[in-house]
Amino acid sequence: MLSVRNLNAGYGKLQVLFDVSLEVPAKGITVVVGPNGAGKTTLLNSIMGNATVFSGDVVFEGANIQGILPYRAARMGISYVPQMGNVFADLTVMENLHMAGYMLSSGEVKDKAAQVTDMFPVLKKFLHRKAGTLSGGERRMLAIGMGLMRKPKLMLLDELSTDLAPIIAKRVIAEVARLRDELGITILLVEQMAKRALEIGDTAYLLVSGDIRYEGKAADLLNDPELARLYLGIKEA
Amino acid sequence: MMPAWLASGLVYASGLSLTAGGITLLYITTRTFNFAHASMATWGFYVVYTGTVLYGGTPYRWLPLAFLFGALLGVICYLALNRLLLYRQANTITLMMSTLGYDLVLLSFIQMYCDYLTYSLKLFPRRVTMSVFDIELFGTSGASIILPLTAVAVLTLLHLFITRTKFGTAMRATIENSLLAGASGINSDWVYMMSWIIGGGMASLGGAFMAMAMTGTPVLGMTTIPFMFAGAILGGLHSLYGGILGGFVVGLAEYAGVYFLAAQAGSWVLGYRMAIPLLIMAITLIAFPQGLAGAWAPMVSRLRGLRRRGVGA
Repeated sequence: MLSVRNLNAGYGKLQVLFDVSLEVPAKGITVVVGPNGAGKTTLLNSIMGNATVFSGDVVFEGANIQGILPYRAARMGISYVPQMGNVFADLTVMENLHMAGYMLSSGEVKDKAAQVTDMFPVLKKFLHRKAGTLSGGERRMLAIGMGLMRKPKLMLLDELSTDLAPIIAKRVIAEVARLRDELGITILLVEQMAKRALEIGDTAYLLVSGDIRYEGKAADLLNDPELARLYLGIKEA
Repeated sequence: MMPAWLASGLVYASGLSLTAGGITLLYITTRTFNFAHASMATWGFYVVYTGTVLYGGTPYRWLPLAFLFGALLGVICYLALNRLLLYRQANTITLMMSTLGYDLVLLSFIQMYCDYLTYSLKLFPRRVTMSVFDIELFGTSGASIILPLTAVAVLTLLHLFITRTKFGTAMRATIENSLLAGASGINSDWVYMMSWIIGGGMASLGGAFMAMAMTGTPVLGMTTIPFMFAGAILGGLHSLYGGILGGFVVGLAEYAGVYFLAAQAGSWVLGYRMAIPLLIMAITLIAFPQGLAGAWAPMVSRLRGLRRRGVGA
């Protein structure tokens, strides 16, 4: 569904990604793991048109979208849930959902919002509260819900479990697996908490200092003791 | 009957609140301190002047046209300058300086327009007392009643627009987080354009208001721009409502300050009239460094907390 080919990208004159190539197959979860500062978020920003791309291609459903404006990427069906600032803190939960479905008709927004609140019932209690007052876990649920409002073909999820209590992080990652299994959404998941992400992932890439160091099955990376120990902080059982 | 200082002060403060609100809106959406607000305000006055002198009626008839003309100037500024610089990720200084250039261009056109009015139509547009065209209402100047009410109406409409409409909510979303707004499919280009339409319109409308309280000249905007910025800064720069209130406080403070200080200390105070609102701004900022918006935010949350506790009890 999405191919990134020989991507060199960064911010301004600073290059962060070096010749990165990856494939995101449809209806699966592709996980990109790697240590802090590896360029994982830059990869997602490059796909969404939020970073400077020096060379390379980003092909989505056969169309080269390199350098696309973010709102156009969203309208093509790419839904980006950033790590930070992933909800509008000054807007109510309901307004957040409405804004996430900005390009839908009012009827579609209503249906989708009902679908999202059914999926994340905790949000029902807070529809008229400002999103800035929600807890970390609730915010993350809202952020995923907002991602779903956009009727996505592909979801780009950035570090969903960061800063969350382990039990909440586990629940959030389980929700991601549900998106694939129940809704058939293609997911590109970027995670620093590698173990949980690799457990639900189909394909995996290991990104270190802007370079792809591993590509293959997620389970294989999880079971590679050397790579897991060196880059993912996973100790052997 | 309303005292003269209060009547003029209300008119001037209403104008200043509109212009300061416009400056704040443009800053929080496009990061641009719009110096062209000066000449946009002056153009607002000349639109009303031209309409009143050439086609008759009260100046109030021409206020909608002044707003539309200011909106047009805003759109031109956005499309010709601001948009290109925003795409190139220009810094705040560059954005600000570009509007200074645009202001000088607008000022040149004002001078040419005044020459045209002077030599072709035999008018005297360089020193105009717009209050001679005013009407009397309830024993006082019409402007002191009509213009504050118009300002309230405009600001209420603006409030309803940004809180009750889909596009207004999209504007608030873009102001808070433009990256997430883009990821939601909101085209920030339209949001910025709308900001310039509203900001430009408010500048020209504010200029037309102020000309009802002071002498209308080609540099009307130039002489009042420090107070427009003072109002925006007093409001806290990051709050539209703060900017509007800040403009009103600065405007009224100038008239009230001069009146009361001159009564106490003598007429020599008049020479320092421009220092009074700036002094008030400085004192307020020492007390509330975040501006008026920063001062009322804790008050509002405390009130909300009280209300919530009340409901729970």
